[in-house]
Amino acid sequence: MRMSNFNYLVRRGVGSVFKNAMMSLASFFVLLVSLILIGCSVLVAMDVGVVMSNIEEKNEILVYVYGDVEQSVLSHISDVLSTNPNSLSTVFYSKEQAWEDYRNSNSEYMELYDYLPYNPIPHTYRVTVKDISKISETADEFRTVEGVEKVTAPQDFASVLVNIRSTLSVIAGALLAAMIITSVIIIYNSIRSSVFARAKEINIMKVVGATNSFVKIPFFIEGMFIGAAAGAASWFVTKIIYEALVQLFRDDLTIWQIFGLSSMIQFEDVTWYMLAANCILGTLLGAIGTIISTGKYVKV
Amino acid sequence: MVELKNVDVHYVDGVKGGVDALNDVNMRINDGEFVFIVGDSGAGKSTLLKLLTREIQPTSGRVFVNGYNLSKLRNRKLPYFRRSLGMIFQDFRLIPDMTVYENVAFVLRSTDKSKKYIRQRVPYVLDLVKLRDKAKAYPGQLSGGEQQRVAIARAFATDPKIIIADEPTGNIDPKLSYEIVELLLDINECGTTVIMVTHNHDLVQYFGGRVINLREGGIAFDGYIEGKGD
Repeated sequence: MRMSNFNYLVRRGVGSVFKNAMMSLASFFVLLVSLILIGCSVLVAMDVGVVMSNIEEKNEILVYVYGDVEQSVLSHISDVLSTNPNSLSTVFYSKEQAWEDYRNSNSEYMELYDYLPYNPIPHTYRVTVKDISKISETADEFRTVEGVEKVTAPQDFASVLVNIRSTLSVIAGALLAAMIITSVIIIYNSIRSSVFARAKEINIMKVVGATNSFVKIPFFIEGMFIGAAAGAASWFVTKIIYEALVQLFRDDLTIWQIFGLSSMIQFEDVTWYMLAANCILGTLLGAIGTIISTGKYVKV
Repeated sequence: MVELKNVDVHYVDGVKGGVDALNDVNMRINDGEFVFIVGDSGAGKSTLLKLLTREIQPTSGRVFVNGYNLSKLRNRKLPYFRRSLGMIFQDFRLIPDMTVYENVAFVLRSTDKSKKYIRQRVPYVLDLVKLRDKAKAYPGQLSGGEQQRVAIARAFATDPKIIIADEPTGNIDPKLSYEIVELLLDINECGTTVIMVTHNHDLVQYFGGRVINLREGGIAFDGYIEGKGD
């Protein structure tokens, strides 16, 4: 297609946005609200992810080793623990170090300890895991390793965390799907009304031999223009809402800082990604609505 | 060239069991001809036009237009076939928010013609229909006859091999109808085939020429008559 004719179609498409001003505005605002909700949901989900990671990192499996094992057995246990696919880090805490630390922290009984014939504290490994949902299986695997006396893991707490995370994922997913469907339906209606308003023009184009793409381009421009504009505006509104939210948690809710909310994602760190994502998503929703609408009502 | 071979068109109607719109029609219109197609309502004129523009397919038989076998024409090739036709309608079908110039330029843009070509072609065809001075007017500011002349200019702008005029004089003053047919005859003089569907027997008798009379889905008459005019 010639550039001059493409430019003409772009002008027709953009002109149509203003011509069907009421419907365009309705689509713009519905899309705006959807994109704000989607943007805020994504940011909150990312923050929840950060919080969960902070909490998860504090969860570790403690592996106690029999007191009389050889150095070679310790090396074997160390290898097995650190090479487990679910191991994030493994820290060895020797029985000597543990005994020393224990004595120093309870120094008032120092003389008493000298009467003990042996060091009663075992060697310990502290293993942090990558995937908290598999903590139970990982602990079971560690129990079978030769030389391991006992393994403890906070399994109940882990399952609570896993449940919270999956529930939040389902809620966020459902919200996202509802917003996307609503946006597509509203764009579809807007373009449909535009198609009806220009039925005569479309009919003439068909009669004189305009190709399918030629007829549809102005509608795509219209849908994508509304989508992109709503995307850019939603970025701005999301920025204001999210920054206010960050300020609220930072200033007033110090309790949340225990869970790591003080390290909430800063909007300026993701501002360009958010702008690009909102504009792309808006444009995409506009295009999808147009595809469905023109597919149904513009048959050449 | 237009050729219909043993064409039947049967419209399916669940209640009445269907209607035979055309029955075993055979017809040939050569390049450069001017043909009137006449007939009462329900005779099959609209069905014939829909066949020629490939809005519908025949139930049986074959239709050839401008070298295209319309029975085998794929949908993606349909726009290119339609560019070889020019259509004129009874209700003009001009776009009301476009000027006369824009209405004509619009079809050239739709067929992806260059800016330079459009700038040359539009004034030329507006001159042909004697409406150059109305280039900036909107359809609502024109009389019925003028609007139909714009529609003729638009149909002729793409330089089609065939112009199909569906009751072009149906919505205009009877006196102006003669001007419209004369304009179509001028276009025909340039080598363009013109197929004009009309109810107006006076016009046909006045101008004469080849007349195809459709009756109850078949061809009742196909021949030449002497014009009473001039």
